[in-house]
Amino acid sequence: MNFPYFNLLIALLPDLAVLAALFAALGVDYAILRYESPAKRNQTAARISVAGLSLGLFILILQLSWNLPPVSIGKDQVALTPLTLAVKAFLFGLSAIVVILSSSSQPPCKHVSEYYALLLLSTLSAGLLVGTENLLLLFVALETMSLSLYALTAFNKDSKASTETAFKYFTFGAVSSGFLLFGLSYFYGVVQTLSLPDAAVAISQLPSIPPLLRIAYLFIIVGVAFKIAMAPFHFWAPDVYQYAPTPIAGWIASGSKVAGFFVLLKILFPPALPASNQTIWAGAIACGAVITLFVGNLGALRQNNIKRLLAYSAIGQAGYLLTGILGGAIQGQTSVIFYILVYAVANLGAFGVINIVSDRNGLNGELPDVAGCWQRKPFLAVLLGVYFLSLAGIPPLAGFIGKFYLFFAAAAQHPAITHWNQGYYWLVGLALLFTAVALYYYLRVLKAAFVSDAPTDAKPIQVNPAEWVCLSVLALLLIAGGLFPEAIISFIQTTITA
Amino acid sequence: MLPLLTVIISFLGALVVGLIPDKHLRATRWIALITASAGLATAITATLQYVLPQGGFQSVLAQAWIPSIGIQFKTGVDGISLTLLLLTGLIAVCGVLFSWDIDHRTNTFFAFFLALIGGVYGVFLSLDLVLLFVFYEIAIVPKYFLIAIWGSTRREYAAMKLVLYSFTSSALVLFGLIALYFGSDLHTFDITQLMTPNTYSETFQIVVFPVVFLGFAVLAGMWPFHTWAPTGHVAAPTAASMLLAGVVMKLGAYGCLRIAIGLLPIGATHWAPVIAWIAVINILYGALIALVQNDFKFVIGYSSVSHMGFVLLGLATLNATGLNGAVLQMFSHGVIGALLFAIVGGSIYRRTHTRQLAEFDRLIDRMPAIAWIFIVAGLASMGLPGFTGFIAELNVLVGAWQAQNSLHVGVLIVAGLGIIATFAYTLVKIHEAFFRRSPAADNPEHPAPSHYPRLTCPEIIALTLLIATTLGVGLFPGRLITLINTGLAPILIALSTGHVLP
Repeated sequence: MNFPYFNLLIALLPDLAVLAALFAALGVDYAILRYESPAKRNQTAARISVAGLSLGLFILILQLSWNLPPVSIGKDQVALTPLTLAVKAFLFGLSAIVVILSSSSQPPCKHVSEYYALLLLSTLSAGLLVGTENLLLLFVALETMSLSLYALTAFNKDSKASTETAFKYFTFGAVSSGFLLFGLSYFYGVVQTLSLPDAAVAISQLPSIPPLLRIAYLFIIVGVAFKIAMAPFHFWAPDVYQYAPTPIAGWIASGSKVAGFFVLLKILFPPALPASNQTIWAGAIACGAVITLFVGNLGALRQNNIKRLLAYSAIGQAGYLLTGILGGAIQGQTSVIFYILVYAVANLGAFGVINIVSDRNGLNGELPDVAGCWQRKPFLAVLLGVYFLSLAGIPPLAGFIGKFYLFFAAAAQHPAITHWNQGYYWLVGLALLFTAVALYYYLRVLKAAFVSDAPTDAKPIQVNPAEWVCLSVLALLLIAGGLFPEAIISFIQTTITA
Repeated sequence: MLPLLTVIISFLGALVVGLIPDKHLRATRWIALITASAGLATAITATLQYVLPQGGFQSVLAQAWIPSIGIQFKTGVDGISLTLLLLTGLIAVCGVLFSWDIDHRTNTFFAFFLALIGGVYGVFLSLDLVLLFVFYEIAIVPKYFLIAIWGSTRREYAAMKLVLYSFTSSALVLFGLIALYFGSDLHTFDITQLMTPNTYSETFQIVVFPVVFLGFAVLAGMWPFHTWAPTGHVAAPTAASMLLAGVVMKLGAYGCLRIAIGLLPIGATHWAPVIAWIAVINILYGALIALVQNDFKFVIGYSSVSHMGFVLLGLATLNATGLNGAVLQMFSHGVIGALLFAIVGGSIYRRTHTRQLAEFDRLIDRMPAIAWIFIVAGLASMGLPGFTGFIAELNVLVGAWQAQNSLHVGVLIVAGLGIIATFAYTLVKIHEAFFRRSPAADNPEHPAPSHYPRLTCPEIIALTLLIATTLGVGLFPGRLITLINTGLAPILIALSTGHVLP
């Protein structure tokens, strides 16, 4: 059998660029810059990483504009559609911004290049994960990403909290991986194939749904629930968001969350699976959504650390996304993908601002840190406003359209009801009430930034040009995504239905 | 296209003002004033351009926005929206004039103010449910900052309370909108299309109507969800209270009329008796609470709640006279409410630096001009003939009598008691504020000046505009009533037949 190596090379060219950058960053640092100052080593490694990611991004855009037909290589191990290419490009872009945000802070410690190498490794695996339809590769990619994130969380070696958190994150993660792998093996036992499209065919040919498949789905959902911070598997999130290096927390909240939701979508909606199969898992997801909404939104109310607040908000937002998943294969999937992208942008922006305002001045991201931001850096306050209002779902920002679409999709699943507990109107109603709760804690941050005066001993906020560009791009994406969402939505929808 | 300019001008103005450096005070103020005046001028031109005999929605502009989920960018005006556009323009101009002395973060203030105005204009223009909702929510955030930054009296608490009430109620509205989309087979959010006959089944209307109506009515200050209104109005800076009482509460009433009643007429008929009872509780309760307030601004805040009761009562009558009265009362209270807040929160407070009635010592001697203007405004608020309030409340009550077969006669009795209570609190508070000697007045440490500074030029212009409007429309209401009636016609046909004509 003639394996299409050339096609594989073309398809994975962007990933190769990132991989090359990963080794280059390590190699240059070890071989050439060994005795230089950490600042210089930091700069070089960051530049190489950004260059690799930009090159990857550029190749992805070329691949997109060439209109490659959907490629599937080696039992769907690499399955590229315009959507997966675009999401990969998105992840590379986010990762480049994370690198830029990290590079201008103090070098995390003397292991400068490893930081960037691990970040690139997690980006690479997140990209692979988005672009595969094979269970084995899915799991391997997810694990590679998680392992790099565990190490990155612990990167602040002077901080005991950081180490403790990483250990917690790792233990939770390892257990959840166990669940996931267990579920996947049951799944394999039922469908007898690793490829998800083949699995969909196998499931649709089953005379009835075997209990084993239900158990498999339950275990898979539990395993993924950890990655997407769905309650009651969320306990790692507040600590990790608070104590991981802030840009890494931003990456965990954005990139890794996108990847986590893609795993869930891939397994819940294998291509061409009849809609009736949704009943296998709908109950579990609905329960999870309710608990997640409660835990996240109520937990966030009393937080005084912005990063911790964002962690609980991330849990709450996972609740909205789970609501959207119930909207089914087309509307549900489209809305979830749209919102997860929007959410990632807003979250990364928020962490970026905290990184500049708090971490650079040696603070821990408490609420008063942003006090008086309107006096100290007015434009930064505006950017912060855009991110948080988008998270809160205020129009005309993309967060509003995204949330609206999630709820719309969930309601569309069962539009005509005769009793309140049919369909998902009840869940939509609950989620909508929690958006009002959420506005309260988002406004607390904005109140500090826009209303309070700066403390007299506040240090000046320093922002370098690269950061201005990154943060402005993120804010512009949110504004443009809110004003002209049709292009993105119809793009996602057509690729899913194709 | 022309009416849409109001929105565009306001948002552009907000952007420009926001970008001006803080130190250019005069430029900021003048640009804000020019923006607000341009909005008013556009609203007037749009009204003049409206072809009355033709009726219906005119200047309609429809553009696909998010066709994947049936959302359009569709705007247009009818008689009701034009009335409220005019009101918004007027209050915006007067609000800017009454903010002339703001020197703390002036550019930000006017940016938020104009953004709020832009959102309000947008709501009145939208002909698509989601677009309307978008503008409705755009108006929420500026309110928070206007109150939290430039407010007084527990401003952060009041701002948060107001915003959470608005946002929670808007969550109800959004839920209702999604239900409205899936309740019909048309797969559109287009209001004009959803107004076609037999769009919604009877059960659907009866179940969904209270959700949508309640969502909007909270913003209209409906009892028992009115408590955001007095606290918010009192804490807000003068211009923001004028806008909140004058226009923002009308957003809620407008949504009740246009969406809840307009799209769900059977539901409205079913629930009208309940709404009528709540409305008269609003009237009486607001008036009685106003009677016992010691803070002058709280008096006005509760009077707003009371007056919005008339709007709700007018809506509950579901007949031509009553609905006309409701819209007229929106306009009337918009002008008079703004006038009262301008005098109490602006002119008087600026000079006395207190709003406690107990500390006011015969202000009629110390600030005669302001006192007389307030007395005129108070009479207007009481519903004296010659002012808009009289015609509006008369129409509402006549409408309520006509609706006798659906409304309980007790409703009318309570409404009558409410009117008496309105007389009582207006006269009592005028006495306490202007004609009573204060026991605290002889405090030698803080002697009250025998004459407070005179009215400033911006104040005179704004007050004149407002009084002239309430008096002018009160004496010659014909044209406004005709305008409103053209807007109400399709809704009335829907109500009489149970389904709606396009």
